[in-house]
Amino acid sequence: MFWIQAFVKIALIVGVLVNMAAILLWVERKQSAMMQDRIGPNRAAIVVGSVRIRAAGLIHSIADGIKMIWKEDWEPTGGDKLLYRLAPIIALVPALCLFAVIPFGPTLHVAHLRDLWSPEWATETTGTVIPMRIATLDVGLLYVFAVAGAGVIGAALAGWSSNNKFSLLGGLRASSQMVSYEVAMGLSLVGSFMIYQSVQPGDMVNWQMQHCWGIFVQPLAFILFATSAIAETKRVPFDVPEGESEVVAGYFTEYAGLKFGMFASGELVEVCTSSALLVVVFLGGWQLPFVQNTGLEFHYLGIDVSWHWAHIVVVLVGLLTFIVKVLVLVFLQLQIRWTLPRFRYDQIMMLGWKILLPLALLNVLLTGFGILFFNGLPTPGAMTP
Amino acid sequence: MTATTKVIRKPQRTMADQSYVIELVKGLGVTLKHFFKGTRQMVTGTTPDLEKHPYADGIATVQYPEEKRPYAQRWRGVHRLTHRDDGSPRCVACLCCSTACPAQCIYIKPAEYAEGDKRRGYERYPEEFVIDELRCIFCGFCVEACPCDAIRMDTGYHMTALDDRASFIYDKAQLMSHVGQDGTQKSANPRHEPGDPTHPGVTRLHGGH
Amino acid sequence: MPNFKLDDREIPFEKGETIIKAAWRVGVEIPHYCWHPGLSVAANCRMCLVEIEPAPGGRAMMLDIMKWDAAKNDYVPDRKPKLQPACQVQAVDGMVVRSTTSKHAAEARAHVQEFLLVNHPVDCPICDQAGECKLQDYWMSEQRTFKRMRDEPVHKPKGVVFGDTIVYDAERCITCTRCIRVCDELVGDHMLDLRERGNRNEVVLAPGRKLEGDYTLMTEHVCPVGALTSSHFRFKARVWTLKETATVCPGCATGCNMYLDVDPREQRAYRNRPRDNEAVNRFWMCDDGMMSYLREHEGRVVKARLGRDGGREDSKVPAALDRAAEAIAKVPAGKLAVLLGAQFSTEDNLVLAAFAKAVGASVYLTAKAPWRADKILRHADQNPNRAGATAVAGGSVGSLQDLLAAAAAGQVQGIVGLGADVDVDANALAPLSRIGEVVLFLSHEGPLARFATVVLPAASWAEADGSFVNAKRLAQPFKRALPPKGDALPAWDLIARLGRAMNLDLSYTKLREVRAALLAQAPEAHPDSRPMAVSADAGAQAQKGA
Repeated sequence: MFWIQAFVKIALIVGVLVNMAAILLWVERKQSAMMQDRIGPNRAAIVVGSVRIRAAGLIHSIADGIKMIWKEDWEPTGGDKLLYRLAPIIALVPALCLFAVIPFGPTLHVAHLRDLWSPEWATETTGTVIPMRIATLDVGLLYVFAVAGAGVIGAALAGWSSNNKFSLLGGLRASSQMVSYEVAMGLSLVGSFMIYQSVQPGDMVNWQMQHCWGIFVQPLAFILFATSAIAETKRVPFDVPEGESEVVAGYFTEYAGLKFGMFASGELVEVCTSSALLVVVFLGGWQLPFVQNTGLEFHYLGIDVSWHWAHIVVVLVGLLTFIVKVLVLVFLQLQIRWTLPRFRYDQIMMLGWKILLPLALLNVLLTGFGILFFNGLPTPGAMTP
Repeated sequence: MTATTKVIRKPQRTMADQSYVIELVKGLGVTLKHFFKGTRQMVTGTTPDLEKHPYADGIATVQYPEEKRPYAQRWRGVHRLTHRDDGSPRCVACLCCSTACPAQCIYIKPAEYAEGDKRRGYERYPEEFVIDELRCIFCGFCVEACPCDAIRMDTGYHMTALDDRASFIYDKAQLMSHVGQDGTQKSANPRHEPGDPTHPGVTRLHGGH
Repeated sequence: MPNFKLDDREIPFEKGETIIKAAWRVGVEIPHYCWHPGLSVAANCRMCLVEIEPAPGGRAMMLDIMKWDAAKNDYVPDRKPKLQPACQVQAVDGMVVRSTTSKHAAEARAHVQEFLLVNHPVDCPICDQAGECKLQDYWMSEQRTFKRMRDEPVHKPKGVVFGDTIVYDAERCITCTRCIRVCDELVGDHMLDLRERGNRNEVVLAPGRKLEGDYTLMTEHVCPVGALTSSHFRFKARVWTLKETATVCPGCATGCNMYLDVDPREQRAYRNRPRDNEAVNRFWMCDDGMMSYLREHEGRVVKARLGRDGGREDSKVPAALDRAAEAIAKVPAGKLAVLLGAQFSTEDNLVLAAFAKAVGASVYLTAKAPWRADKILRHADQNPNRAGATAVAGGSVGSLQDLLAAAAAGQVQGIVGLGADVDVDANALAPLSRIGEVVLFLSHEGPLARFATVVLPAASWAEADGSFVNAKRLAQPFKRALPPKGDALPAWDLIARLGRAMNLDLSYTKLREVRAALLAQAPEAHPDSRPMAVSADAGAQAQKGA
């Protein structure tokens, strides 16, 4: 039963993510077009008889997919063939794996599904429980850092094995940039760990459900983490690794066809993943304000509303909330990508090491003082999960 | 004489500028404004009519092969040689256009009409009429210079992209195959043929003097 | 010298000269169509009417006329001076003539011009005269009004073939009779005449004749409008794209002065026009001379080549020069012959003569055979520069016949030659095939070319500055009209390069240096040594395009 559950959830997540990459490709083109007073892609069509289905440009994503599959799979001479083929896989797979620990909805209690519209809420969980995440790991977000760090290997290997100076420069830039921002990214979450007293994403969401969203207690960390996360995706304004005006296309200069597609979709999957992480850590995960496990509860300003929902409704609302929150953040990330120009390499390094890193350390210090001020010294044992 | 100096201070960046966050939000505001306006126009189908309001705000795309913005009447396109009623060129090979051409892209080989032709003696005709469209700068001087309204640039064609240079050397047959924007290969200006009552006649007996 | 006053200017004249000719001599043009300085006076165009003031104390010649008075809305009696044709009235000392300053003359010219254009088809775009047409010029300077006649113009024959060289358009003709007078007075053959009168007046051929002879193109040259056109130049080019260069006809020993008109865009010669020089050709040239521009493009040598008979191959000039130097070095001393060229400029021949002196070669002359001569301009000697070549060789040279005799006797084993023309029977050239090394500098192919082992491309007369000495021992310079074709260089330059390749003392690198040597060695052949004849240049200005 556990394996079936895991398999279904993995299939679901991977399926959604890979398709999200294709859809985001369209979103990115269409959104940028709207921003720039253009129409955007609209030419590719599926011809059925005399009807041309253009689907507002969505067909372009399909066409791109077909194109990438059928394109000549050219490989540079003199490169390292094995590493060259391995690199795009290493770049894509960690991006997909990141989602393993991210909770995307409230835990589903199979036992409660029976009482659909007459909620008789049991106080304790009994029977089969389906958590809305693939894996519940003790290390939690530390796993995220570990796997995300592996992504840089893909870029570095791609640059190295292409036997091309531009690729090598791109790979070097990608490595240094990702290593730099990994540090700031990790440190920016330490404050959150201290407040949530956990590294498990599920616990974080629960804390936010009981208190308030993380963005209100850790606003600085939110900005720091968001910045670092965008930098980790290697997209504009942090796209010096593939800076077209300087190094042609950076580490994937020599890649074509499906291998290039893996790099490209890896980037878009990372956009989803980083948005999901932001949602989980700072924006309350699947949690909607005033919605508890039992339904809508509003007890402020002298108004008492207590509207009980069926368990399945609560779970579905949670799932939907999470998806909407992620999509909003994805939208914001794309908007930033089409708003800002590319930073210079030295500016990126300065931002990472001289600004984000000290601010993250400062954030840890302030958080510590804050906890001391509000809660007093934590009792031993409170830190244990 | 004393030199006056004007001190221009280097603009100082404030903390708000330096932090970048506020400026980022401002930038996002601009792009979001355009995004929502563009989206609204696309969804509601209210993209501006660029023909009437060429500088209107909003989406400025013309769907080229389906939509074409009409060229101005005086727009200078690819040349054409206008026809007479019998389909021969109006051109009398006077070389005025090739003289006027600043790019020297027109080559004409004049020839005399054959013995017995009613135009012999009155007119000559271009045996060859070649325009190197790659060299042409589309200034329209040839059209201005032409005394017979024989060369015009009112086809409404812009120069096509072709994949070899030889294809841009337009000969007489090619130039005569082009059609004006009014849909005809002729010119609206009348042309008197030798032998017409309106034309300075043919023989000394013709005029009835 | 007696003077008369034309407008504000004192004009000197010789006794018996007409007003218009005296003015033409000093470069003042009185508008005219029918008058030509080289022809008799016809006074039929009435364009040169001028007002001549009465002699002091004399009675003015006045005409009673009716003049329109706008205030009275009627004609009123008036008087105006009687105008007289400047081409027919002989100048008198102290005479006062008013041309541009007379409103009566200006009015008369405008009306004459309007009359001439009444039946004109105004087909300037297809007329070859456009750009150098007197009707156009005088419309601009004297008329500037539009045609007032609304009737159908008179129609006359067009495109009439007068002969092999001339096509006639009667509608454009103003019947000035210049062409008829050329036939009568220059050639002495009344091939053309007028028929009908008034509006139907036109030039026709004499019955049973066609326009023939050696001076037919002069009829086109004197035609002030586009009525007579040359069938060679007809429809070929527009005159405003042509650039004229003052040069000398290479056709015969007369050395007629002429302009060579070339299109600088195509670098192509289109026609010759006589250049007035009263000491040589006056205003005329023969038909063969008029067609000599074709020599610039026909039968040219534009590449160096090596080997003879079957072993010919094209080469580059430097390589061919080296090869020529080697070849000449192989010829035993005293066995080398140098052939000067009567078709080449004095400068070319001077450098070749210097070369001959430096290597100790015997000197001969290559020339074209005599041709048909006449008493007008054509000289029996077809070579423009026999005199110049002879002069730079020290006054005497052997003929080609002498060279052939020497070759047959085995006294010549190598030849360096300028030009490939021969004045002997082609079969008599057989001895030359025994000569091992023949280096020729050629602008045109010729009978000698097949014996050459090395051929170097020389510039033609139109492609380099130079000078010819004509049969009257008059040295005349000519200017470069076109850049040399292909790899060609001026012959004197090639010869000097060859000399330097052989370590001879031939340091000429500029025409100036060659001319200086010419002045030192043969001053009578130097173009500056004798003045170019008379006041032709002023007349040339006035006659340009007439």
